Amino acid sequence: MLKIKDLHVSVDEQEILKGLSLEVGEGELHAVMGPNGSGKSTLGYTLAGRDDYEVTSGSIEFDGEDLVEMEPDERAAAGVFLAFQYPVEIPGVNNAYFLRAALNAQRKARGEEEVDGVNFLKMVRESLAELEMDESLLKRAVNEGFSGGEKKRNEIVQMAVLQPKLAILDETDSGLDIDALKLVADGINRLRDGKRSFVVITHYQRLLDYLTPDKVHVLSGGRIVESGGPELAHRLESEGYGHLERASA
Amino acid sequence: MSALAEKLMVTPVDETSGYDTIHELGQQRLMQYGFPDMKTEEWKYTPLRVLEKRAFQDPIEATTALPSWPVDGVVLHFEQGVLTSDPATLPEGVKLSPISPDLLGKKDYDPLYGQREGAFGWLNLAKFKQAWHLEITGDQTVILATTLSKAFEAQVHPRLLIDVAANASLKLIEDQRDQGQGLINIACEINVAEAARVEHVICRQNAESVWIQRTDVDVAKDADYRVSAFDRGGRLTRHDLNVHIKGAGANGEIDGLVLLNDRQHVDWHTEIAHCVGHTNSREAFRFLADGSGVGVLNGRIHIHPDSDDSHSDLNTANLLLSDDARINIKPELEIYSEEVTASHGATIGQLDEGSLFYMRSRGLTEAEGLALLKFGFAAEPMMQIQTPEIREWVLGQLKEVL
Repeated sequence: MLKIKDLHVSVDEQEILKGLSLEVGEGELHAVMGPNGSGKSTLGYTLAGRDDYEVTSGSIEFDGEDLVEMEPDERAAAGVFLAFQYPVEIPGVNNAYFLRAALNAQRKARGEEEVDGVNFLKMVRESLAELEMDESLLKRAVNEGFSGGEKKRNEIVQMAVLQPKLAILDETDSGLDIDALKLVADGINRLRDGKRSFVVITHYQRLLDYLTPDKVHVLSGGRIVESGGPELAHRLESEGYGHLERASA
Repeated sequence: MSALAEKLMVTPVDETSGYDTIHELGQQRLMQYGFPDMKTEEWKYTPLRVLEKRAFQDPIEATTALPSWPVDGVVLHFEQGVLTSDPATLPEGVKLSPISPDLLGKKDYDPLYGQREGAFGWLNLAKFKQAWHLEITGDQTVILATTLSKAFEAQVHPRLLIDVAANASLKLIEDQRDQGQGLINIACEINVAEAARVEHVICRQNAESVWIQRTDVDVAKDADYRVSAFDRGGRLTRHDLNVHIKGAGANGEIDGLVLLNDRQHVDWHTEIAHCVGHTNSREAFRFLADGSGVGVLNGRIHIHPDSDDSHSDLNTANLLLSDDARINIKPELEIYSEEVTASHGATIGQLDEGSLFYMRSRGLTEAEGLALLKFGFAAEPMMQIQTPEIREWVLGQLKEVL
């Protein structure tokens, strides 16, 4: 599904990712953990195609296609979804309108029929109920005035409606209380269908208590420095990242 | 006399109309003060070169097809400044008649128009051909459709006085569409009597004509006047909108949205005057300037002496969408009373790249994302329109343009 080989990425001419390699198979959930500043968010933004994140060498192959050459909206239509660490507020743009426009833009790009208002509302209402979010959020501007937790849950609602092939979740657990964390984890688990793949970027192990990753990777100094099973996350939780930072320094 | 004054004053006015005294007053003041130039503070950012270069012809007969509106109401159609609707067929509660020369003569225009800065007001008084008096009682909806046809190369100076009776309620839509290249110079006075309510919506789409308009509104005790202006830009537009709150318990609100593109220049001068205390006002204005568009907003809040317990807020946020676009914003607070609250905020910025990326990451193309971002920004002041059908109509037009 996703093959990243020796990826080097610079932001403002400063190299952040320094030879990152990662392979995520169909239906797998991989956790990427690492200390602050290790390049976790850069990985997310690079996969989603943010302008100022320049791939200087290496490759990203998604579903057999070269992701680097694709525009952000082409990536979305191809099935890449990034749940933002800090979801953006867009004043004046209605949440429901935005999500339906996004869904239909993707469907149009894929040559599929657009979803009408009635069916769209049915889809989005189900997701809202599952995430225990109030329907009134649909009428509000995108993320405007949402609490931190509501913003994160709104990302999961978007993911559920857009049904991507690959979801990258960038610290979706940060700032969530334990109940919200569980709701978000349930939302992710509902979408695990053996085909959809996930890259879960996180700082802490606690989200992984609910998600059961296939693999856990440790990102440090712009590279994957260690990979293993779920037990690696537990080890990091007890040992911290200190020894890795010292090693990569 | 300046070349501009000579050009504009050349056609003689009809002195058999009974308005000769008022025409003379206008002419006399105009000759005394002249037209504004770059040294005139109120016109600093709006040169009149386009007007100076233009030659005007006599009006020719033309008719422009009218669009449909979202609400039923009395339609008064002004083609090239001349009323084409029949004032005799209006329903009860809506009366239209020529303004009596006495009524015009009674008003002291000096404090209203001032000197050079109010030259177009004086020009209107000097040159109007028709001056209409619209009187409203009860609950009414009136659509003032002003159209200028493609063949329009003339100068016209329509004049309108609207009296909204005590306790009456008026929805007023000014739908203004220009396809020509002349000069229209409108003077409109609106009196909102005690406890009356006016919801005023101005939708303007200007082409090559020079569009000058002044709207002077007096708001009496406990009355409520709210205006929302959706200005889609034009070659040269200048609108002076003055809301004078003259009775306790009254409220005045202005919301404005201006879209600008290449070779367009739109200047709004607004004033909200609190002439007495226990009054409220609010103003929100947004410009989106693209191409080589130039926008000007001079927003003035004037709280007179002995006007305690006046509350006013002026907010303007603006978007520059290209390197060549310009927006000149000047909020002015002039306060002569102690116990008041008055605030203002002004920002000029660019579209947020982070928001655009967020939208694209969800599948919207760059063009779709930009349109939606612009719409979100632009729609906000128009959301204040009270009547849902009118609000949706305006937002629909906005969606079409962006």
